[in-house]
Amino acid sequence: MGRYAIKRILSAIPLLIVISFLIFMFIHMIPGDPARQIAGQDATKADVELVREQLGLNDPLLVQYGKYMKGLFTGDLGLSVKNGKTVVQTIIPRLKPTIMLTVCSMIWAVIIGVSLGIVSAVMQGRAFDYIAMLIAISGISLPGFWLGLELIQLFSVGLGWFPTGGLASWRAYVLPSLTEGAGIMAILARFTRSSMLETMREDYVRTARAKGLGEFLVVMRHAFKNSLIEIVTVGGLQVGGLLSGSVMAETVFSIPGVGRLLVDSINFRDYKVVQALLLFFALEYIIINLIVDLLYGVINPKVRYS
Amino acid sequence: MKNYKKVISVLLAGTMMFSLAACGGKKDNNSSSANSSSQDASTAENGKVDKDGYIVKAKNTDSKSKDNDLVIAIEGSVSSMDPANIPDTNAISATRGVYENLVKFDENNEIAGQLAKDWEISDDSLTYTFHLNEGIKFHDGTDFDSEAVKANYDRVVDKNNDLRQRRTFIVTNDDGSEEPRVASVETPDPNTVMFKLTKPWSPFINRLTQFCIISPAALAQYGNDIMNHPVGTGPYTFVEWEEGDHTTLKRNDNYWGDKPGVDTVTIKEAPEAGTRTAMLQTGEADFVYPMPVDQIKAVEGTDDLSVKASDSNIMRYVTLNMDQPELKDLKVRKAMNLAIDKNAYVQLMYSGYGKPASSVVPESISGYVEQPAYKYDLNEAKALMKEAGYEDGFKLTLWGDNTTQEIKGMTFIKQQLQQIGIEVDVMPMEPATINDKIYVDKEESKINMWYVNWSASDFTMDGSLRSLLYSTMCPPVSANTAYYNNKDFDKDLDEGLSNADPEDQKKIYADAQERAWKDCPWLFLGNDQVIFAEKSYLSGVYVSPDGAFNFADAKLAQ
Repeated sequence: MGRYAIKRILSAIPLLIVISFLIFMFIHMIPGDPARQIAGQDATKADVELVREQLGLNDPLLVQYGKYMKGLFTGDLGLSVKNGKTVVQTIIPRLKPTIMLTVCSMIWAVIIGVSLGIVSAVMQGRAFDYIAMLIAISGISLPGFWLGLELIQLFSVGLGWFPTGGLASWRAYVLPSLTEGAGIMAILARFTRSSMLETMREDYVRTARAKGLGEFLVVMRHAFKNSLIEIVTVGGLQVGGLLSGSVMAETVFSIPGVGRLLVDSINFRDYKVVQALLLFFALEYIIINLIVDLLYGVINPKVRYS
Repeated sequence: MKNYKKVISVLLAGTMMFSLAACGGKKDNNSSSANSSSQDASTAENGKVDKDGYIVKAKNTDSKSKDNDLVIAIEGSVSSMDPANIPDTNAISATRGVYENLVKFDENNEIAGQLAKDWEISDDSLTYTFHLNEGIKFHDGTDFDSEAVKANYDRVVDKNNDLRQRRTFIVTNDDGSEEPRVASVETPDPNTVMFKLTKPWSPFINRLTQFCIISPAALAQYGNDIMNHPVGTGPYTFVEWEEGDHTTLKRNDNYWGDKPGVDTVTIKEAPEAGTRTAMLQTGEADFVYPMPVDQIKAVEGTDDLSVKASDSNIMRYVTLNMDQPELKDLKVRKAMNLAIDKNAYVQLMYSGYGKPASSVVPESISGYVEQPAYKYDLNEAKALMKEAGYEDGFKLTLWGDNTTQEIKGMTFIKQQLQQIGIEVDVMPMEPATINDKIYVDKEESKINMWYVNWSASDFTMDGSLRSLLYSTMCPPVSANTAYYNNKDFDKDLDEGLSNADPEDQKKIYADAQERAWKDCPWLFLGNDQVIFAEKSYLSGVYVSPDGAFNFADAKLAQ
């Protein structure tokens, strides 16, 4: 498994290079001149030209890409054109809120979502099943923007239990995590349920019951364990999505995460920051996929890596 | 059990509020008093602002703040704390807590001394001599003097520092060569500094309101990283700047002027309007800006919240490409101006919080003179179209930003111009894309009309008009997208620039406004107000016409 992991990590490098090339080309194809954006509304053509020259935007695209790659390998990602901070200085402080929010949202979404899914699969067709699936459908269909503002009205303005946002204390994370996690909880509940319903019809579950195992053990050890692969796959994708930042939750709850940074940077045509963020998101997905693949082996020893 | 009931009641109240808000949006014109639950609560009527600027006035005027920490919630981001490299208006507001300038705009938007006690301008408008206030120290304990002013000037003009403010002092010509505006900065003694200009340039004094003085010792230590370690002379010292989240300043007990009234100031970034309003309701914020009109109803009848409006320097207009065959004719351009109901525009777009445009610049610009209105008159408009030979109308495109608000404005223009037979194709685009389409050579230009706005942050007539209407400023050089070319108008602007005498300037700029107004290079639309809300225990915080907020004199009633 160790060799497999190393092989996978090494094979990610050419993939990242291709991705970096695509990102670079796409960003430079977006209409809009960053030099004009930086120079400001009353800039004359000469002012804009000066900025273009300073930023190296007059070089051919491939030359610019070459410089960018060189910087990438030497750890120099360049400066944000907005305020002259380095790209690393710009991005690092934005990661913590996003990671915290991802962790908090995932913890409750997984616990509640998976539990709801298991119980409703076991109680298929009974009242609990319907209620649980109603909750799940609401979780998917409620617009996050609306849910977030409604939670603020209820818990911040009305009851005063939690702040409206920010990062000051653990309490600040409660409402955004609820908002962010609602959809994921719902997706996990639906997937767990359908996957459980399938495995519970398998022969080995019938065998387990026949040999007189208690229902709890049957469900958890035999049915659930075999459903886990699907749940881990879906969950992994969700983590990837959350780590790329959520513009919605970050906006409603005033959280300085990477989602808002990405949107602001695109609007400002802050190429270097956008490139670094997109490449970082690609890396995240590669790593999460690797972790998910490795987890398959942990869950099901029959999975072999080659 | 009690708690449970409270949850239910709040839930119900929340649901009701949402449904009320939903109704309120649709019947804007007649709902304000009907929606209010209590008769005596002050209610907002569209566009009504009392003489002190209140839209909603708090009933409870002697409420107390629980602490002496001011929190200001804003929509955008404070993107820099380097006053010489300012990317946005919020950065202006935040840096003004820490830094001061030689001169500043006071509350009435007049130029007043700040670090400079007084100043003289020589008769040839070339030498500006500033006499500095004495005994002022930077936050790091070093002295403020004329050398400090010079050090800051040297820093800004140094090309290697790559600062946005450099353009204030250095003009780049089309061939890439550079011309300094200032020939020399002299410091005859520690309390006198003289700027000698290369040629007269009357906006100079206004531009100095944006020239913050940083401690030279700190500059020597940090270089351009000064943005992370601001050291100025202002009423507050710097604590921290977390971009995207907040900026915190604290009281400068050694401040040379009136001591600040609050212990700390936190500028908190909250991009969502509903959240900002909630922050005000929960007391997490004492001041929120901007306050969207649709949020006003949410705080109506609240005991300790006030909503205020103040005039902005935003000019809203549509440029008419005068090279376009149909738009060449003054009669057509005039007819188009007559066909637009400006009052309806202000009502529709800003719920009445604004005014129809009354000149080519807003009232806050120095030298503004009111022009005779193009009163909404379809008959006259149609008659003019007929005279011009366009009785059956023609087709035009209208470009503009793709935000909901801008699209609404463009749709309004389309609907108004339809009345005189002009068929408008509304083309909303992403702002940077519009720039790409606008800043092209004249032959490639495809622009007909552009729905746009402009605010001159230095409040000068030149800053308001030159980039937009001077004949050599057509794209790609700058933003004269009307391709307006009036030599007399150009002459006025040039004279205004070289003559720093206030009386002469008044006459010159009155003439310039009259010419541009009569020539109708634009559809003149309106000037909207900025709206903000605050706790009633807060005083001394205001928003100036350029959209920057000022908290130097903030006080929280204890």
